[in-house]
Amino acid sequence: MRTFFHLWRREMASYFRTPVAYVIGAFFLAITGFGFWMLAARLAQGTAEGDLAGALFGSPWYWLAMLVVTPLLTMRLFAEEQRMGTLEMLLAAPVREVEVVLAKFAGAYATFLLLWGPTLAYASILRRCGGQLPPIDWGPVAAGYLGTALIGSFFLSAGLLCSLLTRHQAVAAMACLATLVLVLAAGWLPTYLHVAQIQEAVRVLAASRHMQDFSAGVIDTRTVVWYLGATVLLLFISIRLLEARRLR
Amino acid sequence: MAEAEILIDVENLTRRFPRCEALGGISFQIRRGERVGVLGPNGSGKTTTLRILATVLAATSGRVWVAGFDALAQSLEVRRRIGYLPENVPLYPEMRVEEFLAFRGRIKGLRGTRLAARLREVVEQCGLGDCAKRPLGTLSRGFRQRTGLADCLLHEPDVLLLDEPLAGLDLAQVHALRQLLRETGGHRTVLFSTHVLAEAEALCPRVLILNAGRLAAADSPANLIQASGAAGFEETFLRLTTLPPKVQNPPARRNGA
Repeated sequence: MRTFFHLWRREMASYFRTPVAYVIGAFFLAITGFGFWMLAARLAQGTAEGDLAGALFGSPWYWLAMLVVTPLLTMRLFAEEQRMGTLEMLLAAPVREVEVVLAKFAGAYATFLLLWGPTLAYASILRRCGGQLPPIDWGPVAAGYLGTALIGSFFLSAGLLCSLLTRHQAVAAMACLATLVLVLAAGWLPTYLHVAQIQEAVRVLAASRHMQDFSAGVIDTRTVVWYLGATVLLLFISIRLLEARRLR
Repeated sequence: MAEAEILIDVENLTRRFPRCEALGGISFQIRRGERVGVLGPNGSGKTTTLRILATVLAATSGRVWVAGFDALAQSLEVRRRIGYLPENVPLYPEMRVEEFLAFRGRIKGLRGTRLAARLREVVEQCGLGDCAKRPLGTLSRGFRQRTGLADCLLHEPDVLLLDEPLAGLDLAQVHALRQLLRETGGHRTVLFSTHVLAEAEALCPRVLILNAGRLAAADSPANLIQASGAAGFEETFLRLTTLPPKVQNPPARRNGA
């Protein structure tokens, strides 16, 4: 556990000692802030209801932020260490592969959650400025954050796995982006495919549909189990791949 | 006097990569306190041997024991007892020297006053006092090498595995590092690869000469010169490494592992 903590601390330092976290953070806040500004503008014109959860988690801006931020956070995790050779030095120390993978994941996940921190202020801003607005429904907002945490863990574990498979950060980022786009596109497939079994199967994958449910305040246990299970599976595969690296 | 315990025991070690065989069944033993140089032309298998001993690469067949532990099945125990310096000394550029060493000490299990004391000792031993606060990314090759060596020495391992520790250093740095390698011996086993024959001859009572993945010779430089009838170590080395490897290779035991 101590080793995990020391590895995690190094991961966090590698984000915040370099411009990485700040560049990603600026981009992320610009995107989510723009989505919030659009909501505020619509509210001021009286063309929208005070649907904060919908504006934060149901808009295209939300998915743009997720699709860009995830590869940027994960692409360097293993690819950079493999390219520089530091992974070899790390694995020659008495650390377990499981500790390395979990510490890297925890570092990326903590940074991801920190990015979402400032968006908590949006609700407060709406309450202060929107005297005429109906009260905010906190249920969907809380469910939206829960959904973001779950989808984020799945996305980040997919990105971590992509980073483990290559020495090139750009390749890792593109592979991660392609995977995430595929997961999102699964949500649109039932519209075009009229085979019941396929529709049911892709519905399980469809992150956009899951987020629609979360931002409406609906927490489906199957969805929660799916994201937790998928994250654990991807991290398990990453650990085994890292262990198998010695055989290559 | 009883012989020192065997700290490195390699038996019929083979390593194949998809397009080549890097090691073709080498066997050797190294005892506690020995300082052994691994020599050979490019592609002879020096780095592969060191990487397998450091547990970062698995053998295709054969057995490797380090400090009494199986390098494959008990790799964590092996890693607790070795200090490994890869060829290009990969370091995290954004970390400072003392911060990097503290991080490495912690993941190697050092804590509190012992960690602080060991940090002071290795910084002094490796001459890093003046650059302890500098980011690793700004260090010269020589200081990177020293930082890597300080990391190897931190947890006082039984075995030091150093891949080309003298490569790319200027004369003064080579001299300082040679002195450091002499000092770090004692009860510790040091196995290092080098291209510089004079360094191996001066530093190592015994050398292993690899050629095309086979062990061409394993003895002291003086004995090898005498056995070959050559004028010097350089000529001996050339004779051993330019003959076809099969002629020189001792018959390898096949364990089918």
